[in-house]
Amino acid sequence: MNGSMNSNRLPIYLMPMLLLLAALMQSTVTVRLELWGVKPDLVLLLVVIGALIYGSKAALGWGFLGGIGVDLFSGGPLGISSMGLMSVALVAGIGHRILSRYHLLVPVSAGAVGTLLYGLVYIGLLTLLREIAAQSTIFGELALPNYQLPFWPTLQDVIVPATFYNTLIILLVTPLLNRIPEIQEA
Amino acid sequence: MIRNTERRPRAPGELGIRIVILVLAALLLMALQLTGRLQSLRSAISFVTAPAQLGATGFTRTITDAVDFVRDLGVLRQRVNELEQINAGLRAENFSLREVERENERMRRVLAFAQTRPGLELRGAQIIARVIAQESTNFLNYIEVDLGANHNIAVGMPVVTEQGLVGRISEVNNVTSKVLLITDPSSAVNAILQSSRLNGIIQGTPKGDLVMDFIPQGPVFSVGEVVLTSGMGVRFPRGIPIGQVVERRQRDIDIFQQAVVRPIIDFSSLELVAIVTNFDPQEEVPALSETPTPDPASVITGTTAVTATNGITATAPVTTNP
Repeated sequence: MNGSMNSNRLPIYLMPMLLLLAALMQSTVTVRLELWGVKPDLVLLLVVIGALIYGSKAALGWGFLGGIGVDLFSGGPLGISSMGLMSVALVAGIGHRILSRYHLLVPVSAGAVGTLLYGLVYIGLLTLLREIAAQSTIFGELALPNYQLPFWPTLQDVIVPATFYNTLIILLVTPLLNRIPEIQEA
Repeated sequence: MIRNTERRPRAPGELGIRIVILVLAALLLMALQLTGRLQSLRSAISFVTAPAQLGATGFTRTITDAVDFVRDLGVLRQRVNELEQINAGLRAENFSLREVERENERMRRVLAFAQTRPGLELRGAQIIARVIAQESTNFLNYIEVDLGANHNIAVGMPVVTEQGLVGRISEVNNVTSKVLLITDPSSAVNAILQSSRLNGIIQGTPKGDLVMDFIPQGPVFSVGEVVLTSGMGVRFPRGIPIGQVVERRQRDIDIFQQAVVRPIIDFSSLELVAIVTNFDPQEEVPALSETPTPDPASVITGTTAVTATNGITATAPVTTNP
């Protein structure tokens, strides 16, 4: 039993490589996979899957690393995606320890809530940065681009379609996910 | 189904410490980047990742082209089955040669852009850059090109294609640069409607569309009008095509009209762009030859300056209906 569990394990040390590869693909390949005007968030999906299998403690680090990867290939400030993905890791980790991820609703909800949360954190932090830059003389001297991300249009045109898209992908990979045994948090 | 039932009790402080450390690290990185202290590190990372991005983008394009090629092949097979067998050996070579030819053709077209449009004030040099990556998030609209500070690229330089305006350089590393596309909500471009000569500001939306805002009330413009850069605001040369009006939004209670504009460029398939390297934003922009035709039902009584959320200022006539 243990042997088969080990052979099915998602190699934990492979995750950083997978995350960086996913970040690279997100800026190159996924442009061709657009649906409803959005592309799939591969890094976010990996963090959600990692949190479900390994728990939020390990997934926190992957959220941080994956976010750096996403921001390296983005026009946004470095670290902002890390914050969003770490919050996703914390929430998705509930499906590891408290709930059973083998129930279909758990990974699907983790994907949907994770995408919503990531979007809200991203918009919230960009807005916060803009407000800080606009109001503070100290921060006003930072090289802060004037990011404009209107809340409701972004929610309607970006976050909601992305939520559907990512949830659909999670739904498709769930049978595969269920073949990987849950790993107890270290 | 396999599930571990024996769980070790979690030390609550351990997770909390990890969260605090990682959040602080993220904030530190953000602060370092915003103060420009990560420039050399980002340049080094770009130096490593740019070839991978270029390779991945090229690979994706090759796959897409191959899929298109195979799709065409299915039709061709029905029509010229015999000829296809003869040409099978040459097909692979032709495929790569066609790709090279297409790239050359695109480069020639981009290079000819300024020559065929003498009125665009693109007197400056242009550098052809390859698009190596698109924006990695769904929230922003940027692209990355394979030229940077080593090629004298600087922040603010306009980026165009042979079709029209793409955006402007927003971040420069040694070997790569990021371009803020005009479809990004943070972008604002002073624009003019070609026929009605009405000024406004083109802004992007989260969906990636374009909206021309701050068009003065009163004068009428029509769907189908071409939108060009106006040269006001001295960020872009004037007369570069941006798109075409597809919808007019006018309400009597609003101060300004809006136009929904369809971009002239397909931003999802950008491959080559031209960076205008010595456009002098301070040079005097000559007055446009045509003046706006006033609406006979309106009387212009003065002007007002309107500052958009992006800091661009536009001057718009104030009209009153008798």
